[in-house]
Order: sequence, then structure tokens, then C-alpha cells
Amino acid sequence: MPAEKHIQTDARFYQIAFQSAFLVFGTWVLGWQTEILRIAVVLTACLATQAVFVFMGKQQWHSLRSAFITGLGLSLLLRSTHIWVLVLAAVLAIGSKFIIRYNGKHIFNPANFGIAAVVLITGKAWISPGQWGSDVYYPISILIAGIIVLYKVQRTETGLVFLATLFLLEFGRRYVFLGWPFDLVIHRLSSGSLLVYALFMITDPMTTPNHRGARAIWAAVLAITTFILSWRFQIYEAPIWALLLITPFTPLFDAFFKAEKFNWFQYSTTHTKAI
Amino acid sequence: MKKYIVILALSVLFLQTPKLVAFCGFYVAQAGAQIFNNKSEVIIVRDGERQTVTMLNDFKGELKQFAMVIPVPVVLKRSDIRVMEQSLFGSFDQYSAPRLVEYFDENPCYDYEAREDASLVRTNVAIVQKAGGISVRGNRDKVNIEAQYSIEEYEITILSAKESGGLEAWLKANGYSVPENAKEVLEPYIKDKMKFFAVKVNLEKAKKLNREFLRPIQIAFNTPKFMLPIRLGMANSTGDQDLVIYAFTKTGRVEAANYRTVEMPTAKRIPTFLRGEYANFYKDMFSVEYAHQGKNAVFVEYAWNVSPNWGVKCDPCVGNPPIVQDLINAGVSWIDQQNYTGNVFFTRLHVRYNRSQFPEDLTFIETPNTNTYQVRQILTHPATGNFECKEGVQYLSDLRTRRRLELEEMQALAGWKASDYPLYTELGKGDKIPSNEQEQEQQRNWIPLWISGGHRPPGWMLPILLILGIGAVVAFQKIRDKWFLSDL
Repeated sequence: MPAEKHIQTDARFYQIAFQSAFLVFGTWVLGWQTEILRIAVVLTACLATQAVFVFMGKQQWHSLRSAFITGLGLSLLLRSTHIWVLVLAAVLAIGSKFIIRYNGKHIFNPANFGIAAVVLITGKAWISPGQWGSDVYYPISILIAGIIVLYKVQRTETGLVFLATLFLLEFGRRYVFLGWPFDLVIHRLSSGSLLVYALFMITDPMTTPNHRGARAIWAAVLAITTFILSWRFQIYEAPIWALLLITPFTPLFDAFFKAEKFNWFQYSTTHTKAI
Repeated sequence: MKKYIVILALSVLFLQTPKLVAFCGFYVAQAGAQIFNNKSEVIIVRDGERQTVTMLNDFKGELKQFAMVIPVPVVLKRSDIRVMEQSLFGSFDQYSAPRLVEYFDENPCYDYEAREDASLVRTNVAIVQKAGGISVRGNRDKVNIEAQYSIEEYEITILSAKESGGLEAWLKANGYSVPENAKEVLEPYIKDKMKFFAVKVNLEKAKKLNREFLRPIQIAFNTPKFMLPIRLGMANSTGDQDLVIYAFTKTGRVEAANYRTVEMPTAKRIPTFLRGEYANFYKDMFSVEYAHQGKNAVFVEYAWNVSPNWGVKCDPCVGNPPIVQDLINAGVSWIDQQNYTGNVFFTRLHVRYNRSQFPEDLTFIETPNTNTYQVRQILTHPATGNFECKEGVQYLSDLRTRRRLELEEMQALAGWKASDYPLYTELGKGDKIPSNEQEQEQQRNWIPLWISGGHRPPGWMLPILLILGIGAVVAFQKIRDKWFLSDL
């Protein structure tokens, strides 16, 4: 019964579980500037927009899971005092998946597109990179949860190459060149927001290259771009802009490095068989 | 029985809401920045890339001993440096300080709007602070003197250096006493092409001015980096330092980009005997909250739109709103003095930092968050007179419950033991009677504070939640496979 097995191992359930846990923790323990009503509105807006496209026959029903993940991603990262800004972000995020497409894949990471668009257009939204603070439990927990999900969607190399490249760049600049103590480098790299971004956002199977080697190069380029934006231009939300700049080049990577397109169920099947 | 519980719950709810909703309370006391030791105060005005920083020192030694070194991104022009009056800090501090307000219950047995006048007890603010500079004495080479100015009572030198040894030697040769490990802190700033703003006091001019305190120095420069260098100040100090930041922007709140920014607990009902003790209470409350938030957070103490044309700027106000001239002196250059137009948002941040918890300089972001916020605790005075009516009896019973909750709140917020004030719940004045009731305390503490309410749950809740998440997915799949997909 392959059909059952497919659904059974859909990694998106884990993404939903983990990102929900982050959100509960952030709101309950870390005192984020968000509330249940806002989260509910964003999730509803994402699901409703996706449902419209499903009705139009553009997608299957199980794609609502992806929309749910996008909604959680927006709730984790985006802050605004205006609910309409959050709704706009949700609609643009999901809408971008169906409107901005090339070669059967959407170009932009939906949550990232939604965030970038409202920050740029409305000026009434922001992201709080410091919202996780530093505590030894957070980076380790996020890392483990992230690796579980990445292993399931076979994107482990993407997240790890990104983090490793960024670590080398920060280590080189701050520790080796400037001479700051090592704990400063650790402090910069253990930011919860950065880890959630690296493990749960950039690794979206649909907007990363299909070929494994290509993904490693792609992740390294993304890390270098992030580093340049934050160091040379002092942009605090550098990772968001870097991803917006890099994802349009994904089709180029796909053209050079041939590999099969990701399918939420195809990889799951391989897994089940392997086990 | 059920009915009884509902009634009790409702009466508690009722007590939780201020009774005189029409009044927003009478302001009684504040806890200004002066109550903290080992502290600096800084005003930062950020307009695009233009940054104006005003710093004040509570240097208490001999003036000739005073010296301060601050890394700055550019060589400052003479016109970029000003000496300000201390009153500027006083007005911002008073206005944004944590506040205590009081309400008065009505006697339920009378039909009148009884309200006593609150006598305003204002704590006088004498601003004292300590900047994060290194105080200093001692040679030189490989150091460029980019500029030298003599401005009022200060002698200012702007230096650039190729390596820290040279800078350290120069500082020593020029009478700055440099702490032993200053070199490793100076080095990164030098490599990052930062300049150094070194200040000493011109003794003759200072004598003529005959002032008790050193006046604040203001510097203005353009930089894409919205940051405050705190690392240099940690070179000669191992303990905790307090920093109060008054930030002004056009758009909204300022928050830390590399540390967590949280609001202090506010709108809590605390016992009436704290009326004359609010400053001490707040000091302890800050320490408790600082520890609960993991000792590495930045606290918001006040956030409000203070544009000249904006109406209510606090509720209630602790001091007079900053006048337009104060804002302009601080560097808010975008206000139109004639028409009082221009949007100004005021954020007061309070950081307690030390070397191990704050490895990196503070960097900030200017957000479009315009939610207003203030630290404001509430006292509610009981009604007076006799209570010989049905409502009166109920009132007294509710009052006991309320006072017990107030004591619990006090203990949760500032760690002052509730059991030390046994008479308060008996409607006495709340004289402190230190208790030795260890057993009672232990019984209370058996349930962690974060479960019984009030405080932040511990950080290890995150892995627990994630494991629960995995459990939920596995359970969901198992149930679905067994009950819904078994026919496929």
C-alpha cells in the first residue's frame, strides 16, 4: 500500500509540530510581541488563500499542510501592530507560489516573500532578530528539531552548509581578524531566529535546487550574501533579503545540475523502503 | 458548592479590575534611574543614519582623575560635540520612570463618591551616573591625533591607531590609567577602523564653572551602525553595570537586535504599605525580573509617542512631558518648532550587563512598533467608615482576599516575603514583622512560581514541547492509520 506509507511519513507533520512548539514557547515563555489571535488570523489567511487555489484546481488538498507551515513561519518571524499587514503578508506569501513560477516550480520561498514584501511595501512590519535571546537550551533544541525535519526531507546538507559557511565567515572576521573573544562568535551564531531561518525556512524543498551538490553550493552562496549584507551594509534582516535575492537563481542551478524535482511523497517512499 | 466557587471567582475578578475606572489613578511615586548604583545613562536620537548620543557621568572622584574613552565610527568635527546641561537627563528620566499610582475604594455602605485627595509625594531626582569609559593614567606611538578640541570644561582628543599597543601607550603617556586587559578590547575597534573619542577635564575651566557634577557630553555623527559600545566599559569592571537608554526615533520603538527585548511587569496591584517605598521596591523588582529573564535581556520601561502635537503621553504622567526644547537639545532635529509638527517616539530601555552575559556590543533596530507601554504599579486604599450593611460585610471579606493577592504579587515581583506582613491581610497597616515560618514558606515554594502564576517558565520547556510535538505526530499517524486508513 504505497499510498498509505506516503502520507504516513510526510515530513510536513513534523515541521508543523516543531514550528508550533516554537511559537507556543515564544509566546508563553519569551514574551514575543504576538498573541493567539494574530497567529490564528495569519494561519487562517494562509489556509484560505491556498484553498482558493486548490478550488481553482491548481493544487491538491494536501498542499494545505504547506500553507499551514508558511503561516507558522510568518508568525514566528514577522511582527506588526496592524493585523491587516499580517493578512497581506499571508496572502502575498501564498499567492506568490501560484503566480511567480518557472518551469513548474515556484520561485520565491513563500514566507520569505511575504515578509520581504510587507516590510518593503507597508513599512509597518518588522522582524525581531533578538527575540530568542540566548540560552543554552534554545540553539541545541532548534538544531536537533531542524535536523530531524531536514533528514526527512533530505535537505540536511542545505541547512548545515549554510550554517557552517556563515560560521566560518563570522569566525574569520570577528575572531581571527578583529580579535573579539570566541564567545562573541558563538553568541552571534546561536541566535534562535537565525537557526529557525536556516533549518526551517531556507530548506523548503520547493525553492532549493533539486540536485544535492547544487544545494550545497546554493546554501554557501546564500551564507556569503547574508554575511556581506549584514557586515558591509549593516542590514539586520540580512538573511531575509539574501534569500529573496538568491531564490530566483534556483532554476539556473536546476538547469546546470539535473535531478528529479522534489515530491513530498516520493522521498518518503524511498525512506520507508530503505528502512 | 459549584455555585459558591463561581461567586468567589467572580468577586476575585471584580477585585482585579480597578473600581474607579473613570480615574486612571493618582500618581504617587516613581523609581527614577538614580536608585541604581554603577549606572550610566545615555540619550540616543536616531534619524536615518544620523545618530546623536548624549552621555552623562556620575564620576565622584577628583576631577583631574576623570577620563573617558569611547569608540566612534568617524572623526568628529568640533560642531558635532556639545556640552549639555544635566537637567536634560532629569527631565527624560522623571518623565519615563516606573510609576506607582493609587486608587481609593468607595465605602459600599454609603451612597456617595468618596475620594480622598492624594497628596503627591514626589521623589526628588538627583541624577547620578557612571559612563562606560575607562578611567585612567601613563606613553605613545603609532597613534594619530585626528583632532583636538577644548570645549567648555572638557579637553577632547580624537585618536586613530594602527594597533592597540600604541594606543594604550599614548593613553598612559597622557595621564589615562588603562586597565590591564584594555588592549584586547581596544584591538577589535582599531581593526574595525573605529576612532577613539578621549575626554579629560580642563581643571581651570571646571573650577570657574564650580559645578558639583560633570556635565553630559553630546556627540553626533553619521553611521549605518545603530549600536552602543559597551565592551570597553567592561574592561575595568567585573560586576554588573546598569545602563538606562532614552531613545528617540521618528517611527517607533527601539529594540535590541542581538539581545532579547522584554517589557517589565506592569499594572500589578501591590500592597498599600509600599507607598513610601516604591523606589526600593522597584530596585528589587528589577533584580528579580532580570534574573527571571535569564540575566541577558534588555528591558523596556517606557514607550510612547511624545510628538509635540500628540495628546496623552502617559497615564498618569510622572513628570512634565519633555518640552520641545529638551527634545531639540537631545538631537531631535526634525521637529518644526513653529508648528509643533514631527513625529517623535520615545523608548526607555534598561540593561544590566556584565562580561559573561553580554559578549557583544549592543546593536539596535528602529521598529515601526508604536504600541505604548509604561511600568505602572497600582495601590488601592480601602474605604473608611463603618461597614454595617450587607454589602459592607461582603466588602471586608473581599478586601482580605484582595490584600492576600497583593502580598503574593509583592513576593512574586520583588521577592519581599509576604509572611513578613501578617497584619496586612487582617486589615492592619502592614507593619513588617519578620517571620521565621520556614515551614510555611517551604509549603508555598513546593509548586514552582512559574506554574502558580506570574513568572516565566524555564528554558527547558522548549525541548519538552518539541518532544511533545513528536509524540503528537506519531500518535496522530497511528490513530489515523488504524481507524481511518485501514480500509484502503
